[in-house]
Amino acid sequence: MPYNIASVLPLHKSRSLANKLLVWSVTSSFLNQVRCLVFEFHLTKLTLLGGIESHIYQLSSKLIDRGHKVIVITHAYKGRTGVRYLTNGLKIYHVPFFVIYRETTFPTVFSFFPIFRNIVIRENIDIVHGHASLSSFCGEAILHARTMGLRTVFTDHSLFGFADAASILTNKLLKFTLSDVDHAICVSHTCKENTVLRASLDPLMVSVIPNAVVAENFCPLSHTTTRAPDQALSSPTDPPMSPRIIGPDDPITIVVISRLFYNKGTDLLIASIPRILASNPNTRFIIAGSGPKAIDLEQMLERNVLQDKVELLGSVRHEEVRDVMVRGDIYLHPSLTEAFGTVIVEAASCGLYVVCTRVGGIPEVLPQHMTTFAKPEEDDIVLATSKAIAALRSNKVRTDRFHDQVKMMYSWRDVAARTERVYEGIIGDISPEEFYGYYPGQGWDASGDRVRSFALVDRLKRYYGCGVWAGKLFCLCVVIDFLIYVFLEMWFPRANIDIARSWPRKPPARKSLDNQ
Amino acid sequence: MPGRLKIQRPSPTTVSFTVSNAPQRSSSLAKILFALQILLRAFLFLCVVVVGITLLRHLVFEGDDGFISWPLVWSSTLGSKLCCLVDSYNPLAVAMVSALVIYCVFRRGYTEESLLVIRGFGIQTSTSSATYLSTAATRFIPTTQIQDIVIHEAFKGFEVRFYLAVIVEGEPNAVVVFPHTLPKREILEQVWRGSRRCLYDAKS
Repeated sequence: MPYNIASVLPLHKSRSLANKLLVWSVTSSFLNQVRCLVFEFHLTKLTLLGGIESHIYQLSSKLIDRGHKVIVITHAYKGRTGVRYLTNGLKIYHVPFFVIYRETTFPTVFSFFPIFRNIVIRENIDIVHGHASLSSFCGEAILHARTMGLRTVFTDHSLFGFADAASILTNKLLKFTLSDVDHAICVSHTCKENTVLRASLDPLMVSVIPNAVVAENFCPLSHTTTRAPDQALSSPTDPPMSPRIIGPDDPITIVVISRLFYNKGTDLLIASIPRILASNPNTRFIIAGSGPKAIDLEQMLERNVLQDKVELLGSVRHEEVRDVMVRGDIYLHPSLTEAFGTVIVEAASCGLYVVCTRVGGIPEVLPQHMTTFAKPEEDDIVLATSKAIAALRSNKVRTDRFHDQVKMMYSWRDVAARTERVYEGIIGDISPEEFYGYYPGQGWDASGDRVRSFALVDRLKRYYGCGVWAGKLFCLCVVIDFLIYVFLEMWFPRANIDIARSWPRKPPARKSLDNQ
Repeated sequence: MPGRLKIQRPSPTTVSFTVSNAPQRSSSLAKILFALQILLRAFLFLCVVVVGITLLRHLVFEGDDGFISWPLVWSSTLGSKLCCLVDSYNPLAVAMVSALVIYCVFRRGYTEESLLVIRGFGIQTSTSSATYLSTAATRFIPTTQIQDIVIHEAFKGFEVRFYLAVIVEGEPNAVVVFPHTLPKREILEQVWRGSRRCLYDAKS
């Protein structure tokens, strides 16, 4: 059954808080479980709220392909305001807000409600899907959607600490958002653990659906584009292409593409580059990205006179990333915190051997033979990089196969199918037993309290448990929101709202998609 | 009040779409009330004129100008009572109240917007003015300058509304048809189809 989904997203991923993050280091690898999950999920309909634009675009297009209707609600920004359409009939509402300073909008706890209600009614939305956690926009939309009696899903893309003041505040906000949400989606198991702890959620109400990459956009140089896609899929059994032989004296190029921020591990990078170059002759670095740490990096290069060995490219656009990546042999990712790390999947897809820190969700992302892990400290990164260079020099790593392997592991179609199952579960198209699991004789009922009722009293009960003061404050917000809703129903009656036409589309190719 | 659409086709190559949010007076009671409203407006206008003349009697309406003998009027019973009444109020306040009443008398109370399409010639949009005193604001766009006629959506206040717009060559902004009434989507689609058929479809 196709659904109408509204996605809400903030366009500007705030990085100010991210700079203060704690280092998240989780060692267990969940990769095998992730792969099993892939084929268990199916999909329904949603509204996305929040900020990871390409994630939303890819997911939305695939959901539209599966016969759902997706609209995206986001902030207006300079040059982009009003209602727009993208390819595939994806409709985007850039909601104008009163802008205080630059792109910062006033915290619009309730002022967003009238326009949100109007959009939801005119588009016949059933599910509201919010993205990202730092945006108050997303939390508001979920609150309003619940008040209007819609099912809500929340996707968390980030990891947070628990200790500092900013985190405590953010966690309260997250708790507010997630208290009444029907289901949450995290991009990795580490992220799920983090979210469950931060928002005191029932773990069964949180699903893990990783990000994906468009593998076609990240082909290695040697990859022949003329190969038919079905051939590419069955390539592991094909006669192997002749791998590139790296001799003991051939140059090895290490690529780093990241924003140069503290939480991206730029300090580690700055400390380890001279040591890596000193201990491994014939090694070069290509560093792309910009940020506040760029000056430190340049100073280090000048101090050690490494300009001829390290190439700084500055910031590159997303479509140029592949062209930078294919110039290298190793991708170094020294991040201190990462919920998923899409970039290392892109690097592996380009046929690069990946050296990364064992933090956050990174260990879940790629199989062992594609990566060398390091602790997030200088000595270990130098060691791991040297190991990786040695492994490449000895031609033990079949990087030429990485692309096809990554293509088998990650696809947006798959992400969409799994998201669809979450939608089906919360809408009630599949039974709670099937959705949450059936555990007879365990003394508890899997479907127990998970189907969230829309009754105001039940909602207030859930919010009241959020904290001594916060609980009361949240309850007040919910009651005000409800009163505003009643007022809006009188002032702007539903009957007066024009129903928008859906984008005309071909019959959904769902059967053929499921068969694949 | 939602707008209503009226289509007129005086000739096969001409069509006029009128959207009006004036109340529909179909019952006899509504018609009687409408007649009473007109009478009331006329009466109020008369009152304001009389009060105005009384107020200005020392300046303009003094002597016998051969047509009306003003001293005779002012000294009559009705005239003197009127003078007392008007003089007992601040002249400025009287002037302001008069202006307000005049505005109410001539206020239209509804908006009527129309789109006239003539094949091979162009289209004309018009929006009725707020009062009966001024004429409608019109805009003519020749066929050669019309790039397209589209229906789109935009944020207006707390709502997202559909609008019909004419994209004019060489102008940065599109010309919105029915900018004040902003009728429902069904009406806009009817107008859009009708105007495109009239402009571009040679067979109709």
